[in-house]
Amino acid sequence: MVTLYVLDVPEFMPIVECARARGGCEIKKFAQGYYRIQAPSEIVLNRKDMKMKPAVWYGLFTGGLIGEIKDWGRDEVRVVGTNKPL
Amino acid sequence: MGEHGNSAYMDPSKRAYRTADVDVSTLKRAKDDNVQLRLDGVDHTARPTWKLRETVEFYRDVLGLPLVHTISARGWGAPGHPDFLHFFFDAGKGATIAFFYYLGTDRPERYMPEDHHFYAANHTAWGVESPEELVRWKETLEARGLNVSPYTRHEILESIYFRDPNGYPLEITLRLRDLHRLDAKDAEMTLDAAMQLEDERRGQPERLKDIDTVWRRKGKLVSEFVEG
Repeated sequence: MVTLYVLDVPEFMPIVECARARGGCEIKKFAQGYYRIQAPSEIVLNRKDMKMKPAVWYGLFTGGLIGEIKDWGRDEVRVVGTNKPL
Repeated sequence: MGEHGNSAYMDPSKRAYRTADVDVSTLKRAKDDNVQLRLDGVDHTARPTWKLRETVEFYRDVLGLPLVHTISARGWGAPGHPDFLHFFFDAGKGATIAFFYYLGTDRPERYMPEDHHFYAANHTAWGVESPEELVRWKETLEARGLNVSPYTRHEILESIYFRDPNGYPLEITLRLRDLHRLDAKDAEMTLDAAMQLEDERRGQPERLKDIDTVWRRKGKLVSEFVEG
């Protein structure tokens, strides 16, 4: 299981929209101001799909990541579950 | 020597505000005395310059910031303090950017500008009110012959960058949205995550070196915050 938390602010909403469009994950909104995106094995995000500028892309997981970054590039990232300590 | 005399400046206890290390662990917290101190924005920032004419011409004549105040004084206070000029340019909303020009001195090697993020971290960022004004700054400064960065959109800011003749980094920035309580809570949890991890590593050889580790701890903190 891999989990992302995304702050409910305009600059990070493309993460939620991109994940929803790709499917294969469960998205839940919390009243405290975060979205949770969960997937059984991996979540893939594409910078160009999200129309995201590099300065925001490089801080993509600032909302919190319960997982591990497997492939990190300028335009695509894949995160998977982890056994690393939180 | 000057009006304050030499003795006060030679007495270490009277110079402690300039020289003593600040040990935060010994300081009382605002919540303990219940006094909420208030600020009213930036009055000025100040840096030394060893290029008097270039600095005046750049800020006043190229950027168009009015020169609003100049102090010219004998060196006073600490022994060996050179005579100096201290001058202020208006940056809007009562804020100024100020410089010290120490007469007859040369720029020490350690104050030379560097092309390094540590150096550039110390910079002045001025706000503009609209996207159109940000574009006007970029296009106008470029037309005046200055090298200006591309637009950089951060999370809540869109900025352009350039240097002054001293090598000091300057930024013109547009705030893209207002900040809310949620932003403050998120900011607190991000820094809590990093501070917890650093505390846990204190005295150990392995330092905190990657943001992924911070993001994982942040994930834990946010999970506890939203899911209890």
